[in-house]
Amino acid sequence: MTQTLTLISHTNTSTNFIELVPLLSIMLLMMSAFVMPLLKKKHHIYGGAIGVLGLTGILQLLNVLHINRSGAYTFDIGHFPAPFGIMLKIGEVESIIGLLFVFVNLMIVWYAYFSLEKEIKENRVSFFHTLNLLLLASLLGIVYTNDIFNGFVFLEVSTLAACGIIVVKDKKTNIKAGIKYLILSSLGSGLVLMGIAFVYSLSGHLSMSYIHEALLENMAGKHNTILISIILFTIGLGIKGAMFPLHIWLPDAHASAPSPSSAILSALVIKAPILFLIKIYYVVFGMAIIGETVILDLVLLFGVLGMIFGSLFARSQTELKRMIAYSSVAQMGYIFFAIGLGNKLGLIMAVYHIIAHALTKSSLFLAAGSFIEQTGFKTIDEFKGIGKEMPVTLGIFTISALSMIGIPVLPGFISKWNLAMAAIEIDKIYLLIILLVSSLLNAGYYFPIIINGYFGEDNLDGKIFRSKSKPVKTLLPLMILTILMVLAGFFSGSIITFIERGIYLG
Amino acid sequence: MQTLVNNYMFVGAVIMFGIGFMILLLHNNLIKKIIGMNIMDTSVFLLFVSLGYIKGKEAPIIVGGEISKMGYVNPLPTGLMLTGIVVAVSVTAFMLALTIKLNDMYGTIELDEIQKMRGR
Amino acid sequence: MMKSSIVRHITSLLLPFVQIFGIYIMLFGHLSPGGGFAGGSILGASLILFRFIYGSEATDAKFKATYMMRLALVSLMMYGLIKGYVFVSAFLGWHSVIGTGTPGTLLSGGFIMPLNVLVGLVVAITFYFIAVLFEEGDFNNANTRQ
Repeated sequence: MTQTLTLISHTNTSTNFIELVPLLSIMLLMMSAFVMPLLKKKHHIYGGAIGVLGLTGILQLLNVLHINRSGAYTFDIGHFPAPFGIMLKIGEVESIIGLLFVFVNLMIVWYAYFSLEKEIKENRVSFFHTLNLLLLASLLGIVYTNDIFNGFVFLEVSTLAACGIIVVKDKKTNIKAGIKYLILSSLGSGLVLMGIAFVYSLSGHLSMSYIHEALLENMAGKHNTILISIILFTIGLGIKGAMFPLHIWLPDAHASAPSPSSAILSALVIKAPILFLIKIYYVVFGMAIIGETVILDLVLLFGVLGMIFGSLFARSQTELKRMIAYSSVAQMGYIFFAIGLGNKLGLIMAVYHIIAHALTKSSLFLAAGSFIEQTGFKTIDEFKGIGKEMPVTLGIFTISALSMIGIPVLPGFISKWNLAMAAIEIDKIYLLIILLVSSLLNAGYYFPIIINGYFGEDNLDGKIFRSKSKPVKTLLPLMILTILMVLAGFFSGSIITFIERGIYLG
Repeated sequence: MQTLVNNYMFVGAVIMFGIGFMILLLHNNLIKKIIGMNIMDTSVFLLFVSLGYIKGKEAPIIVGGEISKMGYVNPLPTGLMLTGIVVAVSVTAFMLALTIKLNDMYGTIELDEIQKMRGR
Repeated sequence: MMKSSIVRHITSLLLPFVQIFGIYIMLFGHLSPGGGFAGGSILGASLILFRFIYGSEATDAKFKATYMMRLALVSLMMYGLIKGYVFVSAFLGWHSVIGTGTPGTLLSGGFIMPLNVLVGLVVAITFYFIAVLFEEGDFNNANTRQ
């Protein structure tokens, strides 16, 4: 069995330049990250950042089109064959998530051009962009890699860069939130590294497909070690991906950071560890090993608890950004619920919900950021009647909130519907009740903001129409994100078919 | 009992990992938390490096002609752990910088006093 | 600035040896343990020692912050470019410009030695900057900011 994989022979007859795109994107982003501190003027910095992100976005789009035509491919870095060198495996799932990450980051940086200097000091803006580009490069690395230790190194780089964009604003709450995030994240990294050590001691390889082969051969009698390493990976990556009882760093970190940073953190940074976890479950260990343990049921239980308790905690918050941060915990609960179901539709829905949530949560955080910036208030009560003063922004907030609640046509509804289908497939009907209850709880904290913003006599008097609206050109990235989110709901059928071609199960 | 003695590397690494983990979680002083994180990471590095040892073979440095392909211990884990050590050093440096900032802002580095001061 | 003249004299005798040791570890990274990071951290430690003994004014006059930051960033970019060249040329099947050479000598192993030197420079400068920032809070003579 191992002889088939001992050495992948190279018949590289056609050098298809498009296959260089993943490695080239990571390197381009990293190198331009180190040019940023040399630039001084705001126009140069933002021009450079948006230029690089735009170029990377175009390359990712070409990559997705190429995979749509010819299927998945692998790429050996430095032309060293697989067990000796690092291999990147780019399939449908990785390419579409890579495109999503780069595109959402581009929109957020565009929005940040208009609003970042109000939150951080002017001489720190270039550092923010350095950290942001490094963060994006490391997230793309986690998505593309097929080697466990390479994934760990990129995971660490992403943790450091994410902590950096929290503390780039120099206030007390930021530093405290940053320290909490860093301590808990390094705990998670220690656990993941221990898991890698156990897996290495079992199989002797570090490349995911080879570990799978070796584990299937040597599995007899080593069930305890395999179980220990699965648990270490789950807890370690669960800390980074805000699984329910381990989410305590998230509200402080996401609420106190500057608004573009909150959007990047909630939309992108907590998703990459989950993709790494999916790869470890299904490529390294495989359904044959995972199905024998109870780990998927545990992940399902924590997902359910996260959905319910995240929404309950969000209901009781008074500050707007903390409420949206707890809503992120609840949405991460949906993704863990989808992974824990254990069937193919659940896994496809996990990836689809990553795409839907990234588009929705980024526009929510940016809209909330412009509310706070224009009015100076922070608590939800003070935003009554804001619909008269900033109608377009509240409209964008409303559409995103409706997707979170699960109104049909929008992507949130598609996720919940298909999760219900997946739950019926494995005969666990009681999970449908939990999905329904969590949707109602979501409505319970989003609707008051929308209703109090637009309607109600005593909310609206004294407010002048469009008095605090931002000009349309600053709201353009938000509008593009919202339009894309609605399109992701309309074309969900083709997106789901695309993901299904490359999913790791069955 | 015999398996515990045979796999003394794993036992030692797990005990040291547990000690570092507990220090990271339970102490209030930030410098002690940083030391706990370093102990935790060091235990994993030692475990990984010890997995490469093959009894009776030489260290993988060519001195005066190569012995044979099979005459050396596995050099791969040592190389990987260099990267791991760099990562641990970076996180330690970052945490120390944040500790200095916290000390400037609050005047103390005990986390429970900071919680009391701000109320949250 | 240390006032004790014993420490100053002994440091002025020892520092060149520390730096040569660091450069040796950096250069021979492909033949013996060490490499870029280890050699760079020894060089950085020697720079920090110089700053402790001789005080911040003398060190700032000798190693200007702008110059060192530009050196570090240029080294990082060159590292990225060389790595990019290696990866892309391997993918396209070109033969690398620097051959492998005879194993065991200094000029062997392709691009490993130049990369080690670049990494060592970056690491040394970064360690020195971290020590400066811990002590002072910001760079004194840095005019990289407005």
